[in-house]
Amino acid sequence: MTKIAAIVNNVQQAQNIQNYIDTYLLPIKDFSINYTNSFTLDEINKLKSLNKEIFVIVNKNIHNTELENLIKLLKQIEKLSIQGIIFYDIAIVNLKHKLNLKTPLVWAQEHLTTNYGTINYWYDKGATYTYLSSELTKREIDEITNHTKAKLFLTIFGYIPMFTSRRHLVQNYLDTFKLQSNSHIHQIQKEGKSYIISDTKFGTTVYSNYILNATNESFPNIDYLVFNSNLIDEQQFLTVLKDYQNKHENSFPKETGFLYQETIYKVK
Amino acid sequence: MKKPELLAPAGDLERLKIALLYGADAVYIGGAFNLRANANNFKLEDIKEGTQYAHKLNKKIYVTVNIALHNKEYEKIENYLQQLSEIGVDAIIVSDPAIINLAQPLNLQVHLSTQNSTLNKEAVEFWKKQGVTRIVLARECSQTDIIDIKKNINIELEVFIHGAMCASYSGRCVLSNFLTNRDSNRGGCSQICRWDFDLYNQKKHLKGEKPFTFCTKDLSMAKHIPDLIDMQIDSLKIEGRMRSIYYIATVVKVYRQIIDDYCHNPTNYEYNLKYEDILRKVANRDSITQFFDGNFGKEVQYYNGRQEITNQDFLGLILEYDKKTKLAKIQQRNYFKKGDIVEIFGPHTSFKFQINEIYDEDKNPIEIVRHPKQIVYLKLPQKVSPCDMMKIY
Repeated sequence: MTKIAAIVNNVQQAQNIQNYIDTYLLPIKDFSINYTNSFTLDEINKLKSLNKEIFVIVNKNIHNTELENLIKLLKQIEKLSIQGIIFYDIAIVNLKHKLNLKTPLVWAQEHLTTNYGTINYWYDKGATYTYLSSELTKREIDEITNHTKAKLFLTIFGYIPMFTSRRHLVQNYLDTFKLQSNSHIHQIQKEGKSYIISDTKFGTTVYSNYILNATNESFPNIDYLVFNSNLIDEQQFLTVLKDYQNKHENSFPKETGFLYQETIYKVK
Repeated sequence: MKKPELLAPAGDLERLKIALLYGADAVYIGGAFNLRANANNFKLEDIKEGTQYAHKLNKKIYVTVNIALHNKEYEKIENYLQQLSEIGVDAIIVSDPAIINLAQPLNLQVHLSTQNSTLNKEAVEFWKKQGVTRIVLARECSQTDIIDIKKNINIELEVFIHGAMCASYSGRCVLSNFLTNRDSNRGGCSQICRWDFDLYNQKKHLKGEKPFTFCTKDLSMAKHIPDLIDMQIDSLKIEGRMRSIYYIATVVKVYRQIIDDYCHNPTNYEYNLKYEDILRKVANRDSITQFFDGNFGKEVQYYNGRQEITNQDFLGLILEYDKKTKLAKIQQRNYFKKGDIVEIFGPHTSFKFQINEIYDEDKNPIEIVRHPKQIVYLKLPQKVSPCDMMKIY
């Protein structure tokens, strides 16, 4: 049965939406990127009292100097007895085996989770879940569901991260031209479209110019349909979840991303 | 002292041969399923010819098979790998690990692409256990990171030393998909990171003297080559499969000289600023050492957008030389004329001279050479060889 998962910003929001979801996906302090907020281990521990599934998001690229802290974090997560770790860096797979960690892994190299062969590769290496890329077509998603035993996550609502850099691209620009800004969130515009760009201590993320809203689509073989609240008003987000539960169309424009739009790569 | 491999890019057979002649120990090329889908990629018969050419020189060929596979590519790739195995290429460079399982029964060596952004020793150890024989490290690694990885994991490491940089962590950019519908992780990257954008804080336009862009300066590690050799890095990689023969010849020759000079006499080695000058002249953007020094502040950014320096220094390619007449047959690449002072350079040659005699294809004297790829003859004061080049002095 498909479960409803939500990426949330804070404990209060998690409590507010608890009746509309089955699973929380929680960015974790100092090891998550592409989210404007994150959770401490204490907060995650408290959320366990809501009796929902919990996956933590450890999706930053791990630099060599961060390994020591990563090992500490993984051991602490293990004690939480949660449902899984959503990971990007392959160090986590190695450490799972070396430290004999039982917490399941979700392979989530966000733009690289694009075929069933590789999903099955990671399944064999211990990542029994995969978080599917947002650049897949619906046909490709259906093919994947028919060819893998891995449990699958798919975002159907929210902004999509398009670009992640270690560099502080906005701050570098402000510093170069001696400009002032009081925000970490900015917008870049091109050809009438506006994209959110966010500088954090770990670098820069750029998001899609639209909120993906594929809530009308049917994905019967996907295990977790994900609603991502990052950068979205909390009240509006709650309403979207209520509408979904009640099988009502939400008020956001329908936006299916790449589900029906195959990308090309050879232009000649 | 162990000499590292100098690894050069090549977009076609001509560039492959030039790279090897000018001092590369190995060349990496793209066939099908690589991240330069719109380059003149190698067909299987070209890969075969290139591999045979390299092996005769006791050098190596690596084939990039580094796209993020979608289902339809996954279903086709095994047959392609089989053919690469039959040709006898020395390794394939992959980012999608599904290929590892397909390549190993075919006895294909697997190098892990920088597209996988490998930054730490735990990830390196994982890949070693999977049978990967070399890791192309992420360009975000610092010197300290690389030293620690090398010290702890016994596996070949490959490090970028020269060329363009992704503004993102490699593999974590799909700007191209969203803005142009071209899949960056399957070779369609349309280099959105070099576009200009208007930057806003809500309604306030944050406008500097130049527009906002993601674009960074290029990488140049010329002065750190001795450090990399001392760190026992196995392969030093030059970026740029879409670059010209002139660029490849120049850059490969410079790094060949730096490696050889240092390895020949490390105690008395002194960094020669002349090399930096040559590299700067052939580049079309400024360059910097980037993350190696832990440097990713404002000085790494490049705010000239798509405005790049057009280099017209390359005047001609030597095709033949007649010892009796001292005439060299040259294919023109940029305008030159009688009276110009020029330089001839090749793998083992470098001299300057003034052009005094030019003849057309029928050996009639002419004054100016202005037509692209025009064939002319020049009288030269010294012997030259095919594939030597003529440039502005």
